[in-house]
Amino acid sequence: MEQRLNYLIAGTFVALIFLTIIFVTAVLPATTFQPEATPAATVYTAQELRGRNIYRREGCFYCHSQFTRYQDRESGEMVKAGDYVYETPHVLGTERTGPDLSNIGGKYSDGWHKAHHINPRTVKPGSIMPSFSYLSDHDMEDLISYLQTLGRKREDVARDREHDPISWLEPPQEYRDRYHKIVVEEKVADVNASAAANSGYGIFVQNCAGCHGINGRGNGPTSSSMAKKPANFSRPFYQAYSDQMWFWRVAEGVPGTRMPRWEKSLSDEDMLYLVAFLKTLPVSGEVPAGEIEVTTFNQIENPTRFDHNYRFIEVLNGTHDDPYVYGGGRE
Amino acid sequence: MQFLTTFWHAVYSDEPFSASRNFLISAILWLVVGTTLGLTAGALMTWPDLIHGIAELSFGRLRPLHIHGVLIGWLSMAYVGCMFYLVPILSGRKSLWNERLGNLTVIAWNILMVGGGISLAQGHTEAREYAELLGIWDWAVMAGLLMAGLNVYMTVLTGKEKKWYVSIWYFLGALFWFPIVYVIGNRTFVQFEGLNDAIAGWFYGHNILGMWFTVGGVGILYYLLPKFSGNPLYSHTLSMIGFWTIGMFYAPTGTHHVLQSPVPEWLKAIAVISSVFLLVPVLTVLTNFFMTLKGKWSLAADHIPMRFAIAAGIAYLLTCIQGPFQATRAINWYLHFSNWVVGHAHLALLATFSFIVFAAIYFIIPKITGRKIYSKRLAVWHFWLTLIGWIVMLVSLTIAGLIQAAGWHFAVPVDQWAIEMEPYMFVRFLSGLLIVFGQILFMVNIYKTVFSKNFEPAPVSPSGIAYV
Repeated sequence: MEQRLNYLIAGTFVALIFLTIIFVTAVLPATTFQPEATPAATVYTAQELRGRNIYRREGCFYCHSQFTRYQDRESGEMVKAGDYVYETPHVLGTERTGPDLSNIGGKYSDGWHKAHHINPRTVKPGSIMPSFSYLSDHDMEDLISYLQTLGRKREDVARDREHDPISWLEPPQEYRDRYHKIVVEEKVADVNASAAANSGYGIFVQNCAGCHGINGRGNGPTSSSMAKKPANFSRPFYQAYSDQMWFWRVAEGVPGTRMPRWEKSLSDEDMLYLVAFLKTLPVSGEVPAGEIEVTTFNQIENPTRFDHNYRFIEVLNGTHDDPYVYGGGRE
Repeated sequence: MQFLTTFWHAVYSDEPFSASRNFLISAILWLVVGTTLGLTAGALMTWPDLIHGIAELSFGRLRPLHIHGVLIGWLSMAYVGCMFYLVPILSGRKSLWNERLGNLTVIAWNILMVGGGISLAQGHTEAREYAELLGIWDWAVMAGLLMAGLNVYMTVLTGKEKKWYVSIWYFLGALFWFPIVYVIGNRTFVQFEGLNDAIAGWFYGHNILGMWFTVGGVGILYYLLPKFSGNPLYSHTLSMIGFWTIGMFYAPTGTHHVLQSPVPEWLKAIAVISSVFLLVPVLTVLTNFFMTLKGKWSLAADHIPMRFAIAAGIAYLLTCIQGPFQATRAINWYLHFSNWVVGHAHLALLATFSFIVFAAIYFIIPKITGRKIYSKRLAVWHFWLTLIGWIVMLVSLTIAGLIQAAGWHFAVPVDQWAIEMEPYMFVRFLSGLLIVFGQILFMVNIYKTVFSKNFEPAPVSPSGIAYV
């Protein structure tokens, strides 16, 4: 009897520990982790929702993930926790036999998707995706309408930012707030001090010079192997950058390029030193930012969403014939 | 008519250990079905147009079928079957607490497998990896687990043995933890929104391994190794440390499956730390296993179940070094989203836990039926085919995974690296062929032993050696 009591006490103890662990790791997040919906979070229409259910039914998520990672350099905009507020049940995926689909929406036409679903190898030779020719036309339309929503709003947010001239020179509000907090309130570093710029030079040489070059002219040793050249900071364009803008670019990186999000590895203080240094880089004569004529996105006839040229709209406008003005490294 | 009566008496009998026998026999059937489905899915990775226009056999449907065939059908049923034999023996009883309830569990479980399988093939899925079964089948799994749990708990509590052997601890732990994990992990019982759904989903996805397959398998091996080798267990204290620490460290590890997604950082930190801490239970368990075998390793030359058990122990070491290694942030950063992880999953479930169950079945079936295993040669073939099969599969999937990871990491377009993976996918298909063929031999061997009219009586040896 005493033996049994011992077991009972030990058993209760274990059960309690185990239930605590379960509570902390599975139930507690559900109450404390409630991110607010970002503009990229999509509320699906009835048709898109049907499409999403077909996506789940056919097991697309076994081979296609729906979150981009810091290291996925060519998957477009990074996802944020708030993007997933309406994504229940989740389709994050855990293995990629095919590409990530977080930003697939708008990348291909509906017709392309249909052909791809019926026989993937007609449009993607070498693909091992199964044929979904058994889907009814109705199912196919719903599925495609869902796929076209993926990342669309995320891209819209990014596009709106890039086609709003002010946004080229000013970071999003959250970064202005963050900058204000650490520089004005907490006084982490003085970005106008030459000592800070000196420290920043050291950090620049260690972390940035590999791509941007020792003088920030976008001609570092690794730049030659990059399809998209690193930024040349001697361009007059960068003279118009505010401190906040520098901070934002350093912290968040540049989506669609190999510029990393340095906030993952550098402290706020280090990033501010970098800002202090970057402000001091000299200019070599080119078109000053103020003289560039800006066209709004809608004025361009039928642009391809992912065509990088849309960034360089002044070219389309005929005002300038060098396609690499913003951030490009061409001398 | 005669056949039906015999059949009914066999499946709803109250003979001692009939439930264990029925569980094991059904499990072997689902093993062959499950691995064949996996092989078909593997073939589609090489020849994507092999099956064209049949919804039920497309990759997205085959994969959950394969997973449920081998996890819920084969391994879970075999575990319960082994527990139904080992628990009465270890608690000093002649049979289960309620043999008819045990047999009812077998029937319910098989109905669940057929029904759940058909509904998954039809595309009725909850679409969360490892937890695809619809609500109604989730209830059936819960009912099966609770019935099995009730039976095992009552057997232990009504048994004569007052000091529990470590296997009993593991079995009771498994049947306590797994229903809880199942309830939280499946949407039927608890609902979460957005990313929290992913957190709960992977809490389940990893804990079905940790709180059920690992705990159950280690429990079975703790019984088999001293029995096979004739040595006493090396250390009861070590075994207890292993048991308690596994309960502590396993539960929070699930988030390492979504380490780079935007889930809370503190949860990722807990997951990574506890994944690495899992080395504590693993190394204590394996030290105990290998020290128990001290001086008796040579038995593996002739003793087939022992051979399976040793292979399982070594594979367990490999799995559990690999697991914490790839769960750390730096390594996961590179290896995530690749076939490396698929190789790891097969290493754990096929090379480790299935091998434990193979060893147990070759040992238990002669004990229950009193018949000698039909053919030793078939058993040897089964061993080598499965062993070579999983080694080849692990190597090819690991290489394929490294290519794939490099592709993601250096932003090479999918079309380009996918072609590089073709040879490895083909080799993986070949390894699948070996494995499936091995399992068919296994099924023939065991079914011949159990059902054939002519049989030799099982040799009786006090140390339990030489049953094959």
